Amino acid sequence: MEEQELLPCVEIRNLVKKFPGVIAVNNINLKVKHREVFSLLGPSGCGKTTTLRILAGLETADDGEVLIEGELINDVPPYRRDCNLVFQNLALFPHMTVEENVAYGLERKRIPKAEIRKRVGEMLEFMQLDGMESRYPVQLSGGQQQRVALGRSLVLKPKILLLDEPLAALDRKLRKDMQLELKRIQQEVGITFFYVTHDQKVALAISDTIAVMRDGKLEQVASPEEIYDSPKTRFVADFMGATNIFLGRVIARSGEEIKLETETGLKIVALADKESSSKEIKGVCVHPERINVLPTGTDVKMDNQFKGRIVGMIYQGDFVELKIHLFSSKEDEIVTARLDARLSRKDSFAAGQEVIGQWDKEGSSTLQG
Amino acid sequence: MKRFLGIKTPAGILPTLGPISVWIALFVFAPVGVIIYFSFLPADTAGEIAAGVSLKNYWLLLTGDTDYGNAILRSVLYAFITNMVCLAIGYPTAYWIARYGGRFKALLLFLVIAPSWSCYLVRIYALKQLVGYPGILNDFFLHLGLISSPINMLYTPTAVVFGLIYIWLPFMVLPIYASLEGINPALLEASLDLGASPGWQFWTVTLPLSKGGIFGGTILTFIPALGDWLVPLLIGGNKVWMAGNLIQHYFIVRGNLAIGSSMAVILTAAVVLLIYMCIKLGGEEAVERIV
Amino acid sequence: MKSLRSDKVLIVLAIGGYLLLWGPIIVLGIYSFNNSAFGVKWESLTTKWYVELFHTSAIMDSVLRSLLIASVTTVVATGIGTIAGYGLFKYKFAGRRFLRMSILLPITVPYVIMAGALLVYFTQIIHFPLGYPTIIIAHISFSAPLAVFVTLGRMQRIDWSLEEASIDLGANRLTTWRKVTIPLLLPAIFASAVLIFPWSFNDFTITYFVAGVGTTTLPLYLYSMLQYSLKPVLINAISLIFIITPTIGILVLSYFQREKQFTR
Repeated sequence: MEEQELLPCVEIRNLVKKFPGVIAVNNINLKVKHREVFSLLGPSGCGKTTTLRILAGLETADDGEVLIEGELINDVPPYRRDCNLVFQNLALFPHMTVEENVAYGLERKRIPKAEIRKRVGEMLEFMQLDGMESRYPVQLSGGQQQRVALGRSLVLKPKILLLDEPLAALDRKLRKDMQLELKRIQQEVGITFFYVTHDQKVALAISDTIAVMRDGKLEQVASPEEIYDSPKTRFVADFMGATNIFLGRVIARSGEEIKLETETGLKIVALADKESSSKEIKGVCVHPERINVLPTGTDVKMDNQFKGRIVGMIYQGDFVELKIHLFSSKEDEIVTARLDARLSRKDSFAAGQEVIGQWDKEGSSTLQG
Repeated sequence: MKRFLGIKTPAGILPTLGPISVWIALFVFAPVGVIIYFSFLPADTAGEIAAGVSLKNYWLLLTGDTDYGNAILRSVLYAFITNMVCLAIGYPTAYWIARYGGRFKALLLFLVIAPSWSCYLVRIYALKQLVGYPGILNDFFLHLGLISSPINMLYTPTAVVFGLIYIWLPFMVLPIYASLEGINPALLEASLDLGASPGWQFWTVTLPLSKGGIFGGTILTFIPALGDWLVPLLIGGNKVWMAGNLIQHYFIVRGNLAIGSSMAVILTAAVVLLIYMCIKLGGEEAVERIV
Repeated sequence: MKSLRSDKVLIVLAIGGYLLLWGPIIVLGIYSFNNSAFGVKWESLTTKWYVELFHTSAIMDSVLRSLLIASVTTVVATGIGTIAGYGLFKYKFAGRRFLRMSILLPITVPYVIMAGALLVYFTQIIHFPLGYPTIIIAHISFSAPLAVFVTLGRMQRIDWSLEEASIDLGANRLTTWRKVTIPLLLPAIFASAVLIFPWSFNDFTITYFVAGVGTTTLPLYLYSMLQYSLKPVLINAISLIFIITPTIGILVLSYFQREKQFTR
């Protein structure tokens, strides 16, 4: 067992999949570790679902290799692979009871009936569905159906569980509860998750590793914190909410600190990785909540202070979002600041007011694309 | 809302459903009511109607010399065989179209249905031309020297059943196709993912979910086959009598409306029983699939 | 990996099905071009039987009769069937299920029963002379239900908020019906007509029961030809036309219908 653990649970090499008129998966390489939650995050149409389906065996790759624990499985049909898929619309068999649904995969394996009943019973209890054995899917709530779908796959103890946006159809509160449930189940059972979603919040909440995908290619693969705090490309930055993006070129550098001049004439101070070359840096991005809004007249010398005027305000209860038009720029540069409602009340600011927008150099991330 | 006979009804009901309700009352229920009435007018096989109302006709049919009892049983048997064979050929055909049809699905389906749009008589005649004597196959075999004298393939019960299958096959394919197309493809993928081989997937997912289509198709083949009279007449000659033949014979040839009515009522009872059973077993979906 | 053996069986059965359905008809068609009047020996290719067909007035008359009956039937049956389908879908009322079952009745029960019943009804009860009217009435009784169910099937896919929008914008019921509802139902109406016309044209059993003297439709004429077995090849020719005409007609009309749907 230990030897197998040295190998990644799933490895995908140079995967390519084409559909008429579009390259859905364009040379993807990734490795998934045992017992981790790996999320493939991206907008609809980016190829993440296709990748998942290739892993499951429901589509065949045009090129590249898929390996589970070092074994090549490109030509292995889905019913012989050791991975199971939780479908987006759950795909519970409407003509079978909860118990029959969960038992489905086990019956194929020729396990004695008594053993099947036992395992199914345990799984239903684990999923908090005891008492629901004889119900039909149509009689269950959304959350309950979700758990049946999960249980149906988990009872087979696959090496890896594939999940295709299972929470997409649930309402906000239920989604939050189920996120925690999923994480708990994953850790208790100790199984590897391969999760596909377009919702960055879910990915941040449950993942150990996030791979951001766009148009068939991977943009960045890193931990949730790194993806959030240090997005490497414009796309990832924008997708993760670091919507204040300043494009420009490095005009000065000392060690990690760089000075960047934007296309609009702003001079920004930021920190870059030690290893990265200045030529690679194309810009800087800042999350709205890292922007401090100060009244004009503040004297203290800080990095990245720019005068501007508030041109829009959105009150959301837990925060206030301000759109600030920075003056010291040749063209329109609108910066979005998000202020925690605890620290500043709604009436602290008004549209048209002149303010200073500021952020620390640690609060930004350099972009390489 | 308007008031109709004192009951609140939406304004549109009368003009939309009125015409057809009147039509059905006048030209469906009334005639059926009439033959039920006529079935109770005692008559003998010569057509003389006696006075009064009685069950004498039914008694006559079941015990007398009209051979109707046997005809009904025979019809049920033939219809059953027809139904089973149509299922054996029709289900794979529907499945093949649904699964492998691709862009040609509509065309393939059309090719199945088109014969049923042709004149019934023509289809029977085509069959007769082929297997009868004088007939094409016979001539062909004679010519090749495979047989020395013409074989009589028609005018046997087997030929009649074959004819029934030939005629009613398209009606089995369509409902089954419709129910197969209605299966959520994610369910099929899920079953594969959970470890089912394609064969297992068929038995545990595809077949149960196409149950409605199977029963719908049964209703559309069993019942017409049960009451068919042209196939037994033209292909069976005077040797094979089914229920429909006797009904037609008594109504048209003998003009004996009373006995004919009694026969019709008995046949109707059998049909109603069958529909009831199909709905019980196949669910409401069976009815949906008929159209 | 698919189970190859079961796939093969599947294909064999499916092909068998198609052969069974089309074999006799294709052979029939081929022989209608045969030069010999009787028998099955192939002599030479000819279309003279078709020519003779068109010159036989008895046949042409029966074609006209069939066309007339089919046309009237189609118009009336499609009309009352479509609006009934509309009403059945939209309105909920006591007895709805009963009405639905009643409409289903004529098409599920074997023809002999209904045809016989209508015969008794016409001759004994309402003393209506058998002829065009009785045939047409009988045909409508059997085809209106078809229109009902075709319409019902399509009602679900139509966006009915368009009707509500029309009323909201000030149109009364009648205008809405004319300008919104009917256009929306046009595909269904078309589909019903395409089903009913050939059905009525081709019908034998029902017509046989309720036709009087002098209303020989084409199927009836064909039947009498079969009884007397005159010139089988002539029969072949009629038969082929019988098959091809509705088939082509429906193919063409369906093609147009599909086109219409795309331009919508």
